[in-house]
Amino acid sequence: MNETSLETTVLILLFAAWYLVLMARKTARRQIDLYDLAMLSTVAVIPAFFVLFPDTTLAITQITGVAFPFVILFGALLAVLFLFMHRLTIKLHRLESDNRMLIQELSILRQSQQQD
Amino acid sequence: MREKPKVLLIIPCFNEAGSIAALLQEIKTGCPEYETVVIDDGSRDNTYAIAKTLSPTVRLLKNLGIGGAVQTGIKYAAQHDFDFCAQIDGDGQHPPEEVKKLLAAWQEKPRSILIGSRYIAHDTFRSTWTRRLGSQIISTALNRLFGQCRVSDPTSGMRLMDREAIALFAAHYPHDFPEPISLAWALRSGLSAGEVPVKMRAREHGQSSIIGWKPIAYMFRVLSYIILARLSRSSLQ
Repeated sequence: MNETSLETTVLILLFAAWYLVLMARKTARRQIDLYDLAMLSTVAVIPAFFVLFPDTTLAITQITGVAFPFVILFGALLAVLFLFMHRLTIKLHRLESDNRMLIQELSILRQSQQQD
Repeated sequence: MREKPKVLLIIPCFNEAGSIAALLQEIKTGCPEYETVVIDDGSRDNTYAIAKTLSPTVRLLKNLGIGGAVQTGIKYAAQHDFDFCAQIDGDGQHPPEEVKKLLAAWQEKPRSILIGSRYIAHDTFRSTWTRRLGSQIISTALNRLFGQCRVSDPTSGMRLMDREAIALFAAHYPHDFPEPISLAWALRSGLSAGEVPVKMRAREHGQSSIIGWKPIAYMFRVLSYIILARLSRSSLQ
């Protein structure tokens, strides 16, 4: 991991900082919630962690038995993505169910109003 | 229970302008003691305009599919304090007089859900071999997994529900493949079910959406839902 150049490290950290600020602003504006912020921030946090703590990254690759650290990086990002998708699926299902219920109740209400 | 129970016929419709008037007239003449509610599932033809002149009609603001339409009718039954509701199709396949058989069977032996079966009498209904095979496998799965009832026609759309079933289904009703899955949910929740032989007519207008090899795909999806219902820990009530 010692071969990560200073330029690469700076570039990744700059990207991470820019992305985290962007996400924080979106959270402040209530476009996303705190859970979304935590999940989406991993796109910046994990690469930043890899360049800031190369020895830890190397240790993880040795423990997991993979040859290249970026496999761990993409694996971690993929795991987070699945978690995020899982949450989104549940949320969508609930919204769909609520939407269906509202359509039913509103339709019955409209019928009873027309009848009266 | 009232001396003379309040019975609601729920008629879910989607583009049934060709058959809905005749069906509602048939109910008015043959079964005037039943109240009706037509659930128009966002038809693009004149179904709503025709139906509302003959019966209370709920027009869904958006197409919800058969499960959503039937559940709307069940909610209507719950809100208007009906003792029973019976689902009959808007295409005229289910003769409304047959509901009397379901009610008579309930009075003889009360069960929360009574299904009008096309297959007990064997002489009134013909369908494709893929549909019969699919239905047979689904009924075998239901009978094996939920030992408390024996059904031969779990996909029949003609069924009578009492107050217990109305309360359950007003809150929880499947939107995909509603007939067999709602039965599994009801049995899992401890409700009872039974069957009564009924006569059904051939469809006069339109075409079934479950044709060709679709019944086989339908069967696998329904089987998965039934197994999930059996494995679920808690009841829905």
